Amino acid sequence: MNRLAWIKSLADYLGGAEDLPPAGLSLPASSSWWGLWWGALTIVIVLFCGQASKFIYIDF
Amino acid sequence: MIFTTSAYYILLIPTAILFRIVGPQVRPWICVASGALFFIYFSVTEVGGWLGAACILIFLWEAVISRLYSPRSAWCLVGVAASLCILGIFKYWNFTTGLLSAPFSRNSLVWRGAFLPLGVSFFTFEFIHYAVDRYYGRVERGTLGQYLAFIFFFPTLVAGPIKRFQYFGPGVEQPSTDWPADWNRGITRILVGLAKKFAVADLLTSVTDHLNRADIAAASRGALIVWILAYAWKIYFDFSAYSDIAIGSARLFGIRIPENFDWPYARTNITEFWRRWHRSLWRWLVDYVFVPLGGSRGSRLSVYVNLLSVMLISGLWHGAGLNFIAWGAWHGSLLVIHRLWTDWRPLHEDRTPTFVGLAASWGVTFAAVTLGWALFAMDLPTALFYYRRLILG
Repeated sequence: MNRLAWIKSLADYLGGAEDLPPAGLSLPASSSWWGLWWGALTIVIVLFCGQASKFIYIDF
Repeated sequence: MIFTTSAYYILLIPTAILFRIVGPQVRPWICVASGALFFIYFSVTEVGGWLGAACILIFLWEAVISRLYSPRSAWCLVGVAASLCILGIFKYWNFTTGLLSAPFSRNSLVWRGAFLPLGVSFFTFEFIHYAVDRYYGRVERGTLGQYLAFIFFFPTLVAGPIKRFQYFGPGVEQPSTDWPADWNRGITRILVGLAKKFAVADLLTSVTDHLNRADIAAASRGALIVWILAYAWKIYFDFSAYSDIAIGSARLFGIRIPENFDWPYARTNITEFWRRWHRSLWRWLVDYVFVPLGGSRGSRLSVYVNLLSVMLISGLWHGAGLNFIAWGAWHGSLLVIHRLWTDWRPLHEDRTPTFVGLAASWGVTFAAVTLGWALFAMDLPTALFYYRRLILG
């Protein structure tokens, strides 16, 4: 697998779109790792929420 | 808003848990009850008020008529016609009567209290899919509960992804039982979607707000380019974020629904772009517009006309405005040009594209798509003014 495809698979896995990590990735599959990742995402959400714009594609 | 409100998650989490712990026969009815509650609550609070909520009767109509469908039955055609009428009246009435009355001083047929029922553009396409596929015998009838669960499944009710009954109907009674994997993937997907929406799409709004006539008139060429680039990324992050949340929400139920995006901006030609941008809509358009028109059969000219027709319909579906029709015409023209190019210079399997060739293809594709967003973001006169300023200064 070339490097770009590997990075895409990693991004898809971290984004929840893929069930399995790309070949060769040795991420710990523990709940604490996912807790950290979710915590980081939650911090980003809390920092930026409240701008209250609607989704473009809904009831356009 | 909807997906960014706490009300959505207050409904989602208990419903997804309940759906998993009840028996197979009850599961569809959990989808129906929660979908009806979702439709009424968000119609009242977000669009249309109580009149919008009353549009739940459309689903009642669909529930009745869909039971009459059978292969080669005229009822299927009635169902398609009814869906098109619902879409036409709610979405295109003022646009059409406005065009027809353009030669006169005013539109005497204008509907002043016009509103869009929640998700009308999407649920009517699912209704049409079922009616057409029943007509051609491509889908089993399914139980009433399965079909109602299909049309009322609230994570996809408002803006897709556009589902297919073949895959959703039977699966609703036998969802995945792998709770840990489904919830891990589902929660990750929802959080990533919310982060994309808030931290990228909404942040870019401060830049894309400049896409108005007054700001365009005063802007430098560089600023015009930055603004349209910002819009290109905003619409991608906005809609893919929405799709992430919808797909992640469905995953909490143990249900897989179609993907909508697969890195569309990384593609090196416009056909590949459309296969990976709003994929569920693209597949719907191919199956229910392009193929019935003749698809890739027939003469080259007819294929080009079919491609152009599909994208004109796609443009009109995206919004009742001349700018959306122009946006559809732009993409239809790009698809025709790409088809002409590949007809003229087909890519041989033994020939590997060079890096420079790929980079140039990507650049042309991305630039063409990005320039097209001006037609999506602004009304037609403003978009044309934008192009004039961009080209002539």
